[in-house]
Amino acid sequence: MTRWFEDIEVNEPFPLGDHTFSAEEIIRFGTLYDPQYFHTDPELARHSHFGGLIASGWHTVSVGHRKMVDALFAEEERLRGLGQEPGVSGPSPGVNSMDFKAPVRPGDKVTYTLTVTDKRPSNSIPGWGLLFNQLTAVNQHGELVYEAHLVGFSKLRDYTMPLRLRLLLALSKTPVLGKLIRRGS
Amino acid sequence: MTNPVTRDRRHFEDLAVGEVIDLGRTTVSKDMIITFAREFDPFPFHLDEAAAKASLLGGLASSGWQTGALSLKMLVDNFLSQIASCGGLGFRDLKWKTPVMVGDTIGGTVTIAELRRSSTHPQWGIVTLDFDMRNQNGKPVMSMRLANLVECRKAEAVA
Repeated sequence: MTRWFEDIEVNEPFPLGDHTFSAEEIIRFGTLYDPQYFHTDPELARHSHFGGLIASGWHTVSVGHRKMVDALFAEEERLRGLGQEPGVSGPSPGVNSMDFKAPVRPGDKVTYTLTVTDKRPSNSIPGWGLLFNQLTAVNQHGELVYEAHLVGFSKLRDYTMPLRLRLLLALSKTPVLGKLIRRGS
Repeated sequence: MTNPVTRDRRHFEDLAVGEVIDLGRTTVSKDMIITFAREFDPFPFHLDEAAAKASLLGGLASSGWQTGALSLKMLVDNFLSQIASCGGLGFRDLKWKTPVMVGDTIGGTVTIAELRRSSTHPQWGIVTLDFDMRNQNGKPVMSMRLANLVECRKAEAVA
């Protein structure tokens, strides 16, 4: 999130926009990363239980990630336009769960939404907050395409490092003591 | 009705828990990283070498989603295209452990962790696969547990 940890509203849906999948891009992604016949060959795909070409789940998820990156950049610009300094987001350590619910066919329009379902300050990384994110993708019929749960990091705006930590950080920059401190932590 | 595409492939009954699939190796080039990032993950540290050097990653690194996509490609080539796969159901516990940098060679194994019949569709089974992806120094780069549907030779209702 490009908002400060303190400014993130829990359970407020953050729209990420939509994407319409063409047969051409489904086949291109499938050929590069998931070359199973129902992702690459419209003729053979008719024999599968899908009855035709469908996008690789990894493709719909990668597009969802792109929509999120674009939305975060746009939010950053919006905040700057208001004269505010945007927040800082950290790297994601992974994904707890990803469930593919409905296939994506050529011409399908998929709408993505990010919702922070819970947040708390991190215990292990001072100055950062943990965000519990839910990502959903829904097609033009209102059917759920996928639902994912992942953890993200966002910087705390109102954080001052405790004296003990500041002292440790300063000492860790000295040659001899620093070596010992880094080994101990 | 038999599916002519998958008729002669291994089916659910032919798989065994504990089977290890070798995924081979893939070397990740600068070109591959930038091409994927442009389309799916346009952060400066996946696109631009100077910006990447100044970032936490310390150099141009692949998108985590690309590391996953390349691992999936290796799974399809070495396993899913040889079984009667009916598509993925999703995954659990995806962890990115070490960034994949330009020139790194990634590879690894997938182990069949679980096999169970679908409770709703007697013609399908579910295979659960554990990924262990590593770089050329043997350092873990990514792990996850993927669930995939597989056709059964004989439909059987789950008791």
